[in-house]
Amino acid sequence: MTSAVDPTLSIATSVAAKADAPPAPVKLKVENLQFYYGQSHALKSINFEIPEKRVTAMIGPSGCGKSTLLRVFNRMYDLYPGQRAEGQVLFDGVNIIGRELDSTVVRSRIGMVFQKPTPFPMSIYDNIAFGVRLHERLNKAQMDERVEWCLRKAAIWDETKDRLHTSALGMSGGQQQRLCIARTIAVRPEVILLDEPTSALDPISTSKIEDLIDELKQDFTIVIVTHNMQQAARCADITSFFYLGELIEVAPSDVIFTNPKEIKTRDYITGRFG
Amino acid sequence: MASLAARRAKDNAVKAVSTGFAVFALFLLAWILWTLLARGLPALSLSVFTHVTAPPGETGGLANAIVGSLIQVGIAMLIGAPIGIFAGTFLAENGKGTRVASAARFVNDILLSAPSILVGLFIYTLLVVPLGGFSGWAGALALAILVIPVVVRTTEDMLNLVPVGLREAAFALGAPQWKVVMFVTWRAARAGIVTGLLLSIARAAGETAPLLFTSLGNNAWSLDLTKPMASLPVAIYQYAGSPFDDWVALAWAGALLITVGVLVLNVASRLVLARGH
Repeated sequence: MTSAVDPTLSIATSVAAKADAPPAPVKLKVENLQFYYGQSHALKSINFEIPEKRVTAMIGPSGCGKSTLLRVFNRMYDLYPGQRAEGQVLFDGVNIIGRELDSTVVRSRIGMVFQKPTPFPMSIYDNIAFGVRLHERLNKAQMDERVEWCLRKAAIWDETKDRLHTSALGMSGGQQQRLCIARTIAVRPEVILLDEPTSALDPISTSKIEDLIDELKQDFTIVIVTHNMQQAARCADITSFFYLGELIEVAPSDVIFTNPKEIKTRDYITGRFG
Repeated sequence: MASLAARRAKDNAVKAVSTGFAVFALFLLAWILWTLLARGLPALSLSVFTHVTAPPGETGGLANAIVGSLIQVGIAMLIGAPIGIFAGTFLAENGKGTRVASAARFVNDILLSAPSILVGLFIYTLLVVPLGGFSGWAGALALAILVIPVVVRTTEDMLNLVPVGLREAAFALGAPQWKVVMFVTWRAARAGIVTGLLLSIARAAGETAPLLFTSLGNNAWSLDLTKPMASLPVAIYQYAGSPFDDWVALAWAGALLITVGVLVLNVASRLVLARGH
C-alpha cells in the first residue's frame, strides 16, 4: 500500500511545483457568494479564486456544498425555481450570476461533465454535433473536423472512428464518459466543470480520465469535484476543502494533503469524519 | 407454528385458486375470440372490402364503414396527437409544480375516465345542433377529445422517465429549453410516446358511443366530412341488432376486423417499446 501512496504524492508535488512557476491569472473569482435551496442556506459567504489553465479540486463530505458551487459556475441552478444565488462570480471580470447574462451563453463558455455518463440517444457523431450546432454554423467538412478534433482530445478517437454513426448508448461506461468530455470540449468552452466524473467508472477508465484531465489543462481551466482524495492529490494543482457550506481551506494540493493549516481539513483528509 | 404439511397445503390451495381464476379469465377471452372467429371468418369475403352496405338480400360490404373509420380516426389523431403531445410535454417539462399544470393534470385525469357517450353529447350540442346536421367532422372531433387525454397521460409519464441528468447535460452545452425538449427528451422518450399514440388509435377505433350522436353512420359511400359518415363500430351496432341474417353476418365480420386491427396496434406498440429500450 505504501508504494501506491508514494508516487501519488510525488506526482502531486511535481504538478504543484510546475503550477508555482508562473502565477496564473484568475479565471473565476467568487465574491461573497451565498446560495439557497429554498430556506436552506447551502453556501455561506464563499470567496474563492480559480486560476486559469490549472486543475482546481473541491473536496469535502457529502452535503458540504462543493457540487452546489460547481452548479453555480454554469448557472445550472437556474433550471430550478427556489434555488438562488447572491453575491458575485466574476468570469474574466464579468459577473455571470446576474440576470444581465443569458445562461445559455454562460454554459457555452463554462462546460460541465456529470457524475453519471449522459450520452444522448443518438449517434456518437450527433452527440458532439448537437452542442456545436447550438453555437456555430459549420459545413459538413468543418463539422467532421471538429468531431475528430474533440474525440482525439478526449483520447477516444481510435475507439470510435469506425463507428461514429452508431448509437452512443452502445459504448461502455468509461467510453461514454469520455464522449461526454469530448462533447463538452467540442463547444470550445474556456472552463470545464467536472462533477465527480469517475465515481461511476471502473479503475482503468478512471485512470484514463485522470490522464485526460492532465492533458486538458493545457487548453482549459478545470474545476473538479471529487470524493476521492487520491484523485484530487493526483490531478489537481490546487485543492479546496468545503465543510457545511463553508470554504475551509484552499492551498496547492501537496500542501493541503501533507500539511493542512486547518484542523477540520486535517481530520477530513486523515479520515476522521466524512 | 403450523406444521410443514399444513403450510404446504395452504400454499397449494392458494396456488390452485389463483391458477383457477387465471384460467377462467383466459377462458372467457378465448370464448369471445372463438365466437368472433367462428362467426366473423365465414362472413369475411372480398366483397366486405369492395362493396358498400346494401339492402338485405343483396351483396353488401363494409367498404364505406372501413374507410369512414379510417378517415375519422385519422383526423382525430391529426388533431389529438399534437395537442396531447404538447400538453403532456408542458406538464412534464415546463409546468412542473405550477398551478396551471396541476389543474390541467386533474382535468385530464377526469377526461381520461369520462364516459365516452358524454363526449358524443358534448359535440352534439356544440356542433351538430348549431350546424343542423350530423357530420364526419363532428365524429372526428369527438374521437379527438377521447384521444387527447390518453396521449397527454402517456407523453407525460414517458417524459418523466427520462433521467434528469440527460436534460441537465443538454442544458450544460448551452441549449435553450425548446432544443433540449425537441432533440433530447422527446428522442429519449420516443418509443413510449409512439406507444401511447398507437394505443390511443386503438381506443378511438373501437368507440361507438361518441359517434352515434356525431357522425351517425351512413349506408352509402361518402367521403364528404360535412355529411353523416359511416364507421365500423356504428355499422356493427346497427347491423348486429337487425333481423336480417346477412346484416348480422356483416356485423360479425366488422367486429373481427376491429379486433384484429386493435390486436395489431397492441402488438406493434409492444414491439416499438421493446426496441426503444
